[in-house]
Amino acid sequence: MEIEKLREEIFEEFSLIKNLSELEAFRVKYLGKKGLLTSYLKELKNLPLEERKSLGRELNELKEKLEELLKQKEREILFQEEDRELEIDLTLTGKKRDLGNLHPLTQVIEELSQIFIRLGFEVVTGPEIESDYYNFTALNIPEWHPARDMQATFYLKNGALLRTHTSPMQIRAMLERTPPLRIIAPGKVYRCDADIRHSPMFHQIEGLMVDEEVSFSDLKGILTYFAQETFGEKTKVRFRPSYFPFTEPSLEMDIGCVICETKGCRVCGGSGWLEILGAGMVHPEVFKAVNYDISKWQGFAFGLGIERVAMIKYEIEDIRLFFENHFLFLNSFK
Amino acid sequence: MRVPISWLSEFIDLRLGPEEVAEILTMGGIEVENIDEPYKNLGELITVEILEISFPEDLKDLVLCKVTDGKEVFNVFTTAKEEVRPGLIVGLAKPESLTFGYHKVEVKTVKGYKSLGTFLSPYEAGVGEEKSKLLIFTPDTPIGVSIYEVLNLKEKVLELAVTPNRGDVLSIFGVARELSLLTNWELNPPKINPFYSQGEDFLGKIEILDPEGCFRYAGRYIKGIEVKDSPFYLQKRLWLCGLRPINNIVDITNYVLLELGQPLHAFDWEKVENQTVIVRKAKKGEKVLTLDGIERILSEEDLVIADFSKPMVIAGVIGGETTGVSSETKNIFIESAWFNPKYIRRSSQRHKITTESSYRFERKVDPEGVILALLRATELIFKITSVETFSKVLDVYPKVFEPPKILLTKTKLKKYLGFEIPFKEVEEILKRIGNIDKKSEEEIEVIPFSYRQDLSIPEDLIEEIARIYGYEKIPITLPKSVLKAKGLAKELKLEKKLKEVLTALGFLEVITYSFIDPKSLNKLNFSDEDFRNNFIELANPLSANLSIMRTTLLPGLIEVACYNFFREINSLKIFEIGKVFFRDSQTLAQEITNLGILLMGNRGREEVWYEEVQRFDLFDLKGYLEELFLVLNLPIQFKLNSSEPFLKKGLSYDLILEGHKVGYAGEMKNLVLKEFDLKTQVLVAEIILDPILEKISLETKAFKRPPKFPSTFRDLTCIVNKNIKIGEMLEYIEELKVPYLEEVRCLKIYEGPPIAKGEKSVSLRFIYRAEDRTLRDEEVNSIQEDLVQKILIKFLAKPR
Ligand SMILES: [Zn+2]
Repeated sequence: MEIEKLREEIFEEFSLIKNLSELEAFRVKYLGKKGLLTSYLKELKNLPLEERKSLGRELNELKEKLEELLKQKEREILFQEEDRELEIDLTLTGKKRDLGNLHPLTQVIEELSQIFIRLGFEVVTGPEIESDYYNFTALNIPEWHPARDMQATFYLKNGALLRTHTSPMQIRAMLERTPPLRIIAPGKVYRCDADIRHSPMFHQIEGLMVDEEVSFSDLKGILTYFAQETFGEKTKVRFRPSYFPFTEPSLEMDIGCVICETKGCRVCGGSGWLEILGAGMVHPEVFKAVNYDISKWQGFAFGLGIERVAMIKYEIEDIRLFFENHFLFLNSFK
Repeated sequence: MRVPISWLSEFIDLRLGPEEVAEILTMGGIEVENIDEPYKNLGELITVEILEISFPEDLKDLVLCKVTDGKEVFNVFTTAKEEVRPGLIVGLAKPESLTFGYHKVEVKTVKGYKSLGTFLSPYEAGVGEEKSKLLIFTPDTPIGVSIYEVLNLKEKVLELAVTPNRGDVLSIFGVARELSLLTNWELNPPKINPFYSQGEDFLGKIEILDPEGCFRYAGRYIKGIEVKDSPFYLQKRLWLCGLRPINNIVDITNYVLLELGQPLHAFDWEKVENQTVIVRKAKKGEKVLTLDGIERILSEEDLVIADFSKPMVIAGVIGGETTGVSSETKNIFIESAWFNPKYIRRSSQRHKITTESSYRFERKVDPEGVILALLRATELIFKITSVETFSKVLDVYPKVFEPPKILLTKTKLKKYLGFEIPFKEVEEILKRIGNIDKKSEEEIEVIPFSYRQDLSIPEDLIEEIARIYGYEKIPITLPKSVLKAKGLAKELKLEKKLKEVLTALGFLEVITYSFIDPKSLNKLNFSDEDFRNNFIELANPLSANLSIMRTTLLPGLIEVACYNFFREINSLKIFEIGKVFFRDSQTLAQEITNLGILLMGNRGREEVWYEEVQRFDLFDLKGYLEELFLVLNLPIQFKLNSSEPFLKKGLSYDLILEGHKVGYAGEMKNLVLKEFDLKTQVLVAEIILDPILEKISLETKAFKRPPKFPSTFRDLTCIVNKNIKIGEMLEYIEELKVPYLEEVRCLKIYEGPPIAKGEKSVSLRFIYRAEDRTLRDEEVNSIQEDLVQKILIKFLAKPR
């Protein structure tokens, strides 16, 4: 038997294998129980010792080599088999999954709260149905005061009212605590007003800090920090004198218009500035209402509208969108 | 408030343009909201050339002119026969424009001839006195351009938003004074010829019967005047400020009010009975016909100016019809007073009228400005009409105004502002708002000028110093303070946790109004005794459908579902956490926080291609709630068949926490949804969070170690009567306390062929595990066999 010839023949046939069934046929033909190589090996015993030894080694090597190659070939074919084209339309979109998320106003409240929490403020909450005393009188807005015109109030038939601002929380927080204190109070407030800029229900955050030396300069500092954390490091701020019965001195803070960068545009009404919040040093009458010693304690308070911040941040023009809860609106704040 | 620059500049040397002036005022605390150009607001008032004139017979007195604005040729007719001729350039108000005095121009049609506008007289154009002649331009005037451009007329008006503490800025002179304070520009205060302080002795009487309501009342009469139209310059100023001219006397009182901020009132002196003016409280039931044509019934809280027999006006608020100035009036009495702001506000609110006068009295007028205004009005009356005689000013001023003395210390100022302004500079600033008395290097006493009624405590002075010094020059620092801050309160932690879990489960958060429609409670079919009918009503709701405070979150959630469903959003998975409000006899209201959940439409999206679209069902809702309760470690039970009237009994649960109902979950009745106009199914749940808050612990939980040894399972499929509840089977198995049995799950339920009618096939999976070793098969088999036997006997089941 010509072993060389056999090897050549085998390898030539091997190179023609294209699939698993051909591979299997090949294996049976040469390595199966009645396979060619197997039968040669069986016949070895009939040969003389010397011949048997050398031929036996060669045949065994060939067999091992073949088994090795078949293993490789099989893996190769199996890999290729899984790459074959399937009758599946790959152009279909993925199956949509709906992510849950929080209402944009909740997101803004959370973001602003975190800024003040970083500064050591405590978050407090309080009732939305208030008495005239907490909402107005204790805040130095007596019954005859024209400042009551600044806030169109919803009254309830039981004589109470819906708080028009979060400022009553200043009074409640001070009564519940002893100074020094630092609180913020986010929550719903109500005014009878409804158009694209006003909603009968909206949200505010109140801030209050009382300490021995906390000053007007500190107020400017805290508010500047807040504005730059909220609207970006480069945000410009300006402070204008204003009036609130429960603060003195009072101020309003504007930020440089985020749209036009103080050049003036439709959003800022051409002024280049957007009014963002009101603040001031706590009025001594307010401290008197909660029995704080005004010769020892002083402080500042501020209040801002969450919707206003959200409208500026997200460039929303109509406040009503927040309360219509359109699926696509809510979904766009992921 | 409107401040024409041209008027303002009479009192102050304006060194900058209107935009810069506006900026200075705004940064000084007097916010300028807008700079208005009233001439521009009139619309298209342009120059046109007359091309041809004709006199069609059927137009009688009118002359028809063919005119051009350089672009188009059109017809205009006019009565000014004498004046018009071809080639003449005149002013034309086009249709839709306004003429001076608020007349709106329309297209006029006479006998089929159309007039596209009106030729303007100088008066109608708002540029001169003449009413009966046309406004004619020189022949070299360009046509088709604004007449104000041609005449170079630019009136700019500052629109101010004055805060309620600054009554002293509610006048042109007041704004000039404020501007001078902020800039140091020279102020030219009004000067009155001493002649107007004289006059004959006052024949009549002024009596203040309520010194609490009226602190000062001054008046004089002027006789032999002629009531007619005001001169143009006066009318124009009123017009610029947004007031309508009425007649010369009324116009003058308004003019002085605008100029000096002191409201005046003119009476027809002959109609004041016995020439006696009495300031008193109204008697209950007294009536007065006010200038707005309304008969007003007065109460004892109204202050009135009365004569011998009747109230004539509501003091400081609105004048009366019967004693007002009319075209027949010859003799007038002019009032200038200082009323108690509280009285004015009370009356103004009760009668729901705000006038230029009440607005200013409420915000405090200058007690020492009363006489000046009266003299200024006298001066103006002399200028524009003839006067026979006039009286001296009678000034009833029982208790002279005493300004406060405010003591400011250097230490306080520094501590408050957080930095030091040189005391010399502080002194300079304070001198401009009052008389100062420097007590020491440390203390200054300030007596504010009488018009600065807003200044009464040291903090007011600190604001003035900071404001005039400039807020922008005050440094920016951060507070030094003790570091101590508490973490979130428990209720906020719970809310946060719920929001985290629900959003992780794919829910969207919604926020709806706290007020709802009372009808929505009827639609939910609550019984009369239901606690949710214990709602609080608004006294002044925006509308009937927002007129009560919600007692359940459900109406708001359904409304969101409707809103979206109408907009082709058919699937929704939402929640809200918010307050509900109940009437309470002890407190203002009981406020409770609820969680509401709503599922509508499909689980996932509609595009599932080869699979079936899955609609939300009760077990989706239950699954979300179970997940929520598991995370919160809450032993809330699902009691079958909710008692809520709006839920389908057979598809609902009441949620029970330790024997108390804390909520509900289920599918809404179709009829209820129909009444809400929602044409799809929804599943809802609502949970009262307050009782949960008491039970729950939000502290860190000890972790659960994953089991060390593998579990093994056995399945059982059996056929039982259809009415047997899986819950009962699971409960029974649990009670058996089978060794090593970790969990039982119901895998599948099947009804229909080949299973006989009235029966169902149930597949259960039993999971076994030992904590300390791997269970042997034989061991599990014997336990399972025993268990299966018990189940089969208990539930009359057949193995399948
Ligand atoms: Zn802008």
